[in-house]
Amino acid sequence: MKKKMSNRTKTYLCILIPALILFVMFNTYPMINGLIYSFTNYKGYGKFDWVGLRNYVDLFQDERVLKSYLFTFKYALCGTILVNVLSLLMALALNAKIRFKSALRGIYFVPNILGGLVIGYIFSFFFTYILPYIGIAWNIEWLQNSILASPAYAWIGVLIVGVWQAVAMTTIIYISGLQTVPEDVYEASRVDGASKWTEFWKVTFPLIIPFISINFVLTTKNFLMVFDQIMSLTNGGPAQSTESISFLIYRNGLDGGQFGFQSANAFVFFLVIVIISVVQQLITGKKEEQL
Amino acid sequence: MKTFRKIMAAVLCVMMIVTLDGCAQASEDGITEIEIVSYKREAIDVMDEIQDLFNSTHDDIRLKISSPNEAMTILKTRFIRDDYPDIVAIGGDINYSNFLDAGLFMDISDLQALKEVKEGYLDIDKQLELVSMDGVYALPYVANAAGVLYNKDIFNKYGWKIPNTWDEFISLCQTIQSKGLTPLYFGYKDTWTTLAPWNALAVDLVDANICAQVNKNEATFANAYREVATKQKELLKYCQPNPYAYSYTDAATAFANGEAVMWPIGSYAISQVQSVNPDMNIDSFVMPGSNDPNKNILNSGIDVQFSIMENCPNKEAAYEVLNFLYTDEVLNMYLEDQGGVATKKGEFPIAEYLKGMETYILAGEVADFQDHHYPTEMAVDAMIQTYLLDKKKDALDTFLNKFDTDWIRYNRDLIARVQKEES
Amino acid sequence: MSKPDKENKHTNWVLTIVLILGTITVFFPLYMALVIAFKSPSEMTNDVQGALGFPKHLGFENFAKAMEVTDFWNTLGNSLLITISTIVLGILVYSLVGYVLGRTTAKSKHFKLIYLYIISGMFVPFAILMMPLVKETAQMHLGNQLGVILLYLVFYMPMNVMLYAGYMKNIPEVMEEASMVDGASTWKTYWKVIFPMMKPMHATVAIMTALGTWNDVMTPLVIMSGTGINTLPIAQLNFQTAFGTNYNLAFASYILSLIPMLIFYIICQKQILNGVANGAVKG
Repeated sequence: MKKKMSNRTKTYLCILIPALILFVMFNTYPMINGLIYSFTNYKGYGKFDWVGLRNYVDLFQDERVLKSYLFTFKYALCGTILVNVLSLLMALALNAKIRFKSALRGIYFVPNILGGLVIGYIFSFFFTYILPYIGIAWNIEWLQNSILASPAYAWIGVLIVGVWQAVAMTTIIYISGLQTVPEDVYEASRVDGASKWTEFWKVTFPLIIPFISINFVLTTKNFLMVFDQIMSLTNGGPAQSTESISFLIYRNGLDGGQFGFQSANAFVFFLVIVIISVVQQLITGKKEEQL
Repeated sequence: MKTFRKIMAAVLCVMMIVTLDGCAQASEDGITEIEIVSYKREAIDVMDEIQDLFNSTHDDIRLKISSPNEAMTILKTRFIRDDYPDIVAIGGDINYSNFLDAGLFMDISDLQALKEVKEGYLDIDKQLELVSMDGVYALPYVANAAGVLYNKDIFNKYGWKIPNTWDEFISLCQTIQSKGLTPLYFGYKDTWTTLAPWNALAVDLVDANICAQVNKNEATFANAYREVATKQKELLKYCQPNPYAYSYTDAATAFANGEAVMWPIGSYAISQVQSVNPDMNIDSFVMPGSNDPNKNILNSGIDVQFSIMENCPNKEAAYEVLNFLYTDEVLNMYLEDQGGVATKKGEFPIAEYLKGMETYILAGEVADFQDHHYPTEMAVDAMIQTYLLDKKKDALDTFLNKFDTDWIRYNRDLIARVQKEES
Repeated sequence: MSKPDKENKHTNWVLTIVLILGTITVFFPLYMALVIAFKSPSEMTNDVQGALGFPKHLGFENFAKAMEVTDFWNTLGNSLLITISTIVLGILVYSLVGYVLGRTTAKSKHFKLIYLYIISGMFVPFAILMMPLVKETAQMHLGNQLGVILLYLVFYMPMNVMLYAGYMKNIPEVMEEASMVDGASTWKTYWKVIFPMMKPMHATVAIMTALGTWNDVMTPLVIMSGTGINTLPIAQLNFQTAFGTNYNLAFASYILSLIPMLIFYIICQKQILNGVANGAVKG
C-alpha cells in the first residue's frame, strides 16, 4: 500500500536535497573525476591520452611513491604511539590533585591552536640554527648538524613537531575519559589495598578504552595526512626522505605535470585510508566487546 | 525567526559581493589589457619600471607585469584552471618545452623583433622543442652564463689566476684550503642548486644532444654522465661542512660576506649577492671540466624569453608590447638591473662580473643547460643530492643506473614518438 | 567530583612543579619566535645572546614591514571572512541535516542510506579531491573565498552531521509534537523549538570548525593559488622566499599570523576546551 508522502517528509527532503547536491558536487563528483583522470597521462593542461592501468602499475614500481608511503606509515605509527603514551601520562597528571589545574590545561593546549605551517617555520629555524649552536657550545657531537639536513633523521624532526602539536588534543580527550571514571571505583580499589600501578591497569585502563580507541583513530588519520609541517620544515627533503603521500600528490600532481599519475596515487591512498579505518574499528570494536 | 532571516540575508550578501568581486573582469573604456606573468621574482623592481614606462607611453594598451613567488607553480595551476595570461616570461627550459608541446603558445614568426635576435639563441629554442615544429614560439630576451663566481678581491690579494683545466681548478682549491679559507660554498638544501655545477661540467664533458641520442637508443647516461658525477662529488672535498643544511640564499649571503672564495652558480645569482654586499668585486670563469682547455665551453641558456599564449585575444597589442620590450632602451634597463647577456644583435656591454668569460661570450662558444631536457617529475636535482649524500661504495653506479631507468620511465611517451618519427 | 574530604586538601606538589616546568616546552618556541621578531639582523650573531637573548629595544618596525609585505589586513580579512562564513553556514546547514537524519535514520531505510552516504565522506582524504577540484572550481568561477567556503561546508559535513544527528537522541520527539499539534509547520518548529535546544552542540561545532579552517593550508592553497587572494597561512607560504634570509622579518610575520588565534583562545579558552572534548567524545 503506497503511503502519500507526508508534509513532514516533504520538508525533510527539501532540507536534505540542497545539502546532498552540494555534497555530490564537491565530494563525489570530483572523486569520480579524479578516478577517470587516473587512467590518463594528463598533465593538467593541454592534450592527453588514455593509458589504461599503466599509472597503477607504475605506482607499485615507483620508488618515490613507495618511499612516500613508507615514510607516511612510519611517521603515523610512531606518531600515534608517542602521542597516545605522552597524552595519557599528561592527562593522568593534569587530572591528579594538582594546583592551577585549569591554567595548566589551558597552557598545554596552546600548541594545537597554532597553525601547523607557521609552527613548522619556527621549528625549522630552531633545528637549523639553535640546536646545532647548542651542540657546538656544549660539545655534543650529534647535535652539531641540523637534524633537518640528514636524510636518515629528518623525519624525526618532523615527528617532534607533529607530536608537539597533537599531544594537546589527545590529552583533552583523555582527561574527559578519566573524568568519566567514578570516584567510588577508585574508593573500592583503595579499600582493597591496590597499589597505584595495579589501580591504573586494572581499574582505570579498561574504563577508558573507548577513549583510547577514539584517540588512536583520530591521531592515525591526522598523521597519515601530514602536509603543513612538511611544507615548512623540509619541503620533502633532504633527498626526498620526508615526502608524505599528500605532499607528493600535491607537488607532482599540480606542479610536476603528473596530474593523471598522481590521481591514481590519490585513489590508492583513499583505499588505504578506508582499509586502515575499517581495521581499526574492527580491532577496537572487539576490545570493547571483551569488556 | 526575524533575526534568522537577517543573518541569512547578511550571509548571502557577503557571498554575492565576494563572487561579483571575482567576476569583475571587463576592461572599461576600450583600453586593451595585456598581462605578463614573469617567473623571475628577483627582477620585480625593474619589471615594474618597464611596466610603468610602457603605460606612460601607450594610451590604448595597459600593461601589467606580475612576478609572483613560486611563479611556475602558479602558472601551472592557472593553466589547469584555464586562466591564461596574455604573455609569459619564462626561461628556455623544460617547462617551455612542455607548454609548447601541449599547444599553449602562439606562433610569432611574423614578429618584428625576431629579426634582431642572434641566431644562436633562436637555435636553442628550436632544440628545446620536444618534437620538431614549424614556426617560432618564443622571443629570447636575456641569456645567463653559468660557471663559477669568484671573489676578485681575495684572488687579487693572493695573486691567484683563473684555472683553465680541471687539474688547475682542483689544485687552486687545495691552495685556498692551505690558506685556511673555504674554496667553495654550496646551497644544497635547495636541491636545484646541485644542477649548477652539474650543468657546467656536463657542457664540457658530454655531447650537447645526449638526451636526444638516448631517446633514439644510441647512448646511455650511465656512460655519458660518469665523469660528470665523479667530478661533482670530488668538489665536496672543498666546500663548507654539511652543505645540505644551507639554502640558496644562505649560500649567496655567505659568498657575499667572503666566507667562501668561489661559488659554482649562474650569473642569475649576482643580484642576490649584490643585495647583501653591493660593493663586492665579483667576476666569473668558465668551469674547466676537462684537462683540455680547448674543450671548455660556456654553459649559457636563455634566462628569460617571452611567449604569447595561443588563445590571447589581443595579438596586435601583444606584439606591440614585445617589440617595445626588445628596444635597446628597455633591454638595457633590464640588463643593468639583472645582468646577463643580451640575445639581441648589436653592441651590448658585458658586465664587470662576466669579464672572466668574455672571450667565450663574444666567440659564441656556448652550450645550453642539460637540465633543460630533464622532466620536472624526474627530480634529477633531488637524485643528484641523494647521490652526493650517499657514502656507499656503489653510489655512482646506483645513481647512473637510476638515471637511465627513470629517464625511460618519465619519457616513455616522448621516446615512443621520437622512435616512431625515426622509422 | 570534589568531595569535602581530607584527601582533597593534599595537593601533589611534586607533580604540580613538574607540570609547571614542563610548560617550557610550550613557551620556549613562542618565546624564541617573539624575541627574534623584535630584533634586527645585526643582533642575530652566532652566540647565545644573538639567538635567545632579549632584543635591545622593542621596536615594531619588523612588524610594520611584515604587515606591508604580506598585505596583512587583507589577508586577515580573508581568513576571517572564510572562517566566520563557514561557521555560520555550517551551523545552519549541519544542524538542519543532522536534525532530519537524527529523526529518520532509525525509521527509514532510505534516510539511513543518505546518512551513511554522507558519513562515508569522512574517509575521503582531501588529496584525492584536490586536483579535480582545482579544475572544477575554476570552471564554476569559484576560485575565490566563496569556493573555499563551499568546500569547507562539504568537507566538514560528515563529522558535524554525525554530531548533530547523535545529539538528537537527547531531544525527545515530544518536543516537536507539541508545537506541531498547535499547527506550526515542521520548518517553523525546527527553528523555534529544536534549534535553540542544540546550543551546546552549536558551540562545539563552531569551535571545531574554527580550529579546522583558520589554520588550514591545503584548501586555500589549491583553490586560490595564483589569484592573489591569500589567507593568513597561505601568505606565510607565499612570502617565505621574499623574506630571504631576513629571519627577523619572517618571524615578525609568523607572530602576526599567530596573534588572532591566540587572542581568540585566551578569551574563549574554557569554551574551547569544553567544545573540543565534547566534539571528540561524542564523535
